[in-house]
Amino acid sequence: MVAVKEYNIVITGVGGQGILTAANLLGWAALNEGYKVRVGEVHGMSQRFGSVISYVRFGENVYGSMVPEGKADVILSFEPVEALRYINYLKEGGLVFTNSRPIQPVQVAMGLANYPSHEQIKDIVENKFNAKYISFDAESIAKDAGNIIATNVVLIGALTQTPDFPLSPESIREVIKVSVPKKAVDLNMKAFDMGIKTAQELLK
Amino acid sequence: MAKVTDMVLLNKPGEKILLLGNHAIARGALEANIAIFAAYPGTPSSELTDTMAAVAKDAGVYMEYSTNEKVAFETALSAAWSGLRSMTAMKHVGLNVAADTFMSAVGMGVEGGFVVMVADDPSMWSSQNEQDTRVFGKFANVPVLEPCSVQEAKDLTKYAFEISEKFKHMVILRTTTRSSHMRGDVVLGELPDEIVNKVRRHGNFEKDPTRFVDIPAHSRNFHPKILENIEKIREEFANCPFNKIEGNGKVGIIAPGLSYAYVKEALSWLNIDDVKILKLATPFPVPYKLVEEFLKGLEKVLIVEELEPVVEEQIKMWAYDKGLNIPIYGKNIVPRIYEMDTKRAVIAISKFLGIETPINFEELDEKYKEISSVLPPRPPSLCPACPHRNSFFAINKATRKKAIFPSDIGCYTLGVLPPLNAVDTTVAMGGSIGVAHGLSVALNGATNEETYEKKQVVVATIGDSTFYHTGLPAIANAIYNRSNILVVVVDNEITAMTGDQPNPGTGDTPHGVGKRIPIEDVVKAMGADFVEVVNPYDIKKTTEVIKKALEVEGVSVVVSRQVCALYRVGKAKRNKEKLPLYKVNTDKCTGCKVCISTFGCPAIFWDAENNKAKIDPTMCWGCGSCAQVCPFGAFELVKEAE
Repeated sequence: MVAVKEYNIVITGVGGQGILTAANLLGWAALNEGYKVRVGEVHGMSQRFGSVISYVRFGENVYGSMVPEGKADVILSFEPVEALRYINYLKEGGLVFTNSRPIQPVQVAMGLANYPSHEQIKDIVENKFNAKYISFDAESIAKDAGNIIATNVVLIGALTQTPDFPLSPESIREVIKVSVPKKAVDLNMKAFDMGIKTAQELLK
Repeated sequence: MAKVTDMVLLNKPGEKILLLGNHAIARGALEANIAIFAAYPGTPSSELTDTMAAVAKDAGVYMEYSTNEKVAFETALSAAWSGLRSMTAMKHVGLNVAADTFMSAVGMGVEGGFVVMVADDPSMWSSQNEQDTRVFGKFANVPVLEPCSVQEAKDLTKYAFEISEKFKHMVILRTTTRSSHMRGDVVLGELPDEIVNKVRRHGNFEKDPTRFVDIPAHSRNFHPKILENIEKIREEFANCPFNKIEGNGKVGIIAPGLSYAYVKEALSWLNIDDVKILKLATPFPVPYKLVEEFLKGLEKVLIVEELEPVVEEQIKMWAYDKGLNIPIYGKNIVPRIYEMDTKRAVIAISKFLGIETPINFEELDEKYKEISSVLPPRPPSLCPACPHRNSFFAINKATRKKAIFPSDIGCYTLGVLPPLNAVDTTVAMGGSIGVAHGLSVALNGATNEETYEKKQVVVATIGDSTFYHTGLPAIANAIYNRSNILVVVVDNEITAMTGDQPNPGTGDTPHGVGKRIPIEDVVKAMGADFVEVVNPYDIKKTTEVIKKALEVEGVSVVVSRQVCALYRVGKAKRNKEKLPLYKVNTDKCTGCKVCISTFGCPAIFWDAENNKAKIDPTMCWGCGSCAQVCPFGAFELVKEAE
């Protein structure tokens, strides 16, 4: 167990992708490791395929449930453009971890707005915000593990491999075991491990 | 990470768990031995109500989803009159609906503790306005308690019942979107025997017309009693265990509710520890005794509070009367609009102390502004397979968009967005029918007037739950006053927006089967001039019926009934049912974009490389509406439901 004063995770994506579940999982793992925990969510309207942001904060002492701008250690994004939308939360030299598959908003499909290219997003994160950008197809990995629903677990697995990440993969495994339906435990464990393996490759 | 119901009912005092603010309040109510709970759902209060619904049977509590906040308030209030501890919950605008009873009932007092949980929504994450319930509390002379953490949300709930019972006065427990939807660590307290043993409690009502009948002769006695009571409670709050003075220094900060958390975090970020803090869980009535003690030796004070200057006004008025000369900063530094956060607290405290902020926020804002042009907007949208999209699509077709579309509060308000653009007004729950009637008589006149001439078609949309909530009096009014409007009740048989709560159109209650009240029967009985029920998944038929309804002069009602897609799909997935799946036949797709530019299902996207529409198989819920919309038959069923 790594004792940490304060660690801030911003989780972003599109409503319905399992972002609240991911935030809750990380929150419980942090609680079980003895930290003070705050998880911030927004319910209601934002769930319906809109842009979503959640916060997970833990440490010796944490207060509010929102990560202040410029203070996130990592942005864990389920969709590339959503990482960019909340990039102002990231601290100097922080890390962006994102699922690579774009979800086109209706406005883009209608031709009322453009979706930025992968290169454009990467360029802004790396050069304008001085952060590390890692993008990979977490959905395909989840599919290989057995179900696309496990995308969030793949991403969390990957997250555990980032430098100085304070929570142990073991405590997250424990929470997954008790929180998903019994039948889905194996699948989620597999997805989690595949996330870990992918991140180890990517972070080399 | 057990189920919420298990966690909330867990009788292991001292156990530490992670709870949502609203779940913690439910737990606090159970620890306080609550017997009756009644509410109408509204974000951000809904999880409290749903948790009570889920645990009610196992806790011996009577719980109901009432048809609106006023009715819920009256249900819980009379339980408190009967000596039972009771609670109602609502969002800030819900208190407006309950306000009539709320304002009059204060002076009658209560026997059992009565707690009114009101959840405000600063920054309007899912609301039509930004109102500060603490102002309402002050207006009505009802004490307001406000937690700073999830732990405190639980403990303060219990305390609220004790205060209410001690002073026989109702109490408001005020939260915000942040405190209601924040998860945090909570140490559980003990559950009373009645809750553990599922004992359903019944009260006893002692008749006393001088108390419970508010004719002028009786209610003239209420107001002085209320004011007297409030001063007693003010005294009590000086010793409230959730109010405390912390730290030392020549400058002080007063922080009510969640602002305390932001102030603490800001001070730690700024590396400042020589500030005296008054943590306030009781923004109304402010305990002057405690404030006086706090101010001793201070050179200046800053009040960091979210939204309205409720604490500021009380303290400034009192300080003036006392002849205190100490500078008090508040809304001249702290924003009065939108929600409070750590950044705002840091900026305000830096200004107050004349120091630099740890991050140059202006520079960060500039940098972010530069990239915002790259970001495509992603507002919430109607779900794939949402029946409301079909209803709006059919209304647009039938009216050729040449109508005014008053709408209401619910998921279907999202019909305002392109490509549907089928919502012209929304003000408040039930408002669509009243507005439609008003527009029609203003523009055309009533059908029984000599000057009546139909120049403008008005089509109101309203959801099922909203229809029962406040649509009923409005439709009675329109029918009675001979309006010429079409009301389309978009009936998805559930209160979907707030999380699938049942309503009279659903029929089920948390206690089992209730009695279903069909909307078509109600409006027929009221005398509507045209009533028909349609299935919006059949777009052609729905359009035809709407056209027919528009030809009838008078109040026409079309009930467009199809169960909420999100609810249906959730259920199907839990039952391991496979949904049908549609696909674009690229040979048939001409790239006309009709599916995207007039229908706008989020599962359909544009493949710019091939200039064809495409369906995202992970998002398609198989309603088949696209196949009805496409003029070229390009959408095809690839997989039947299993």
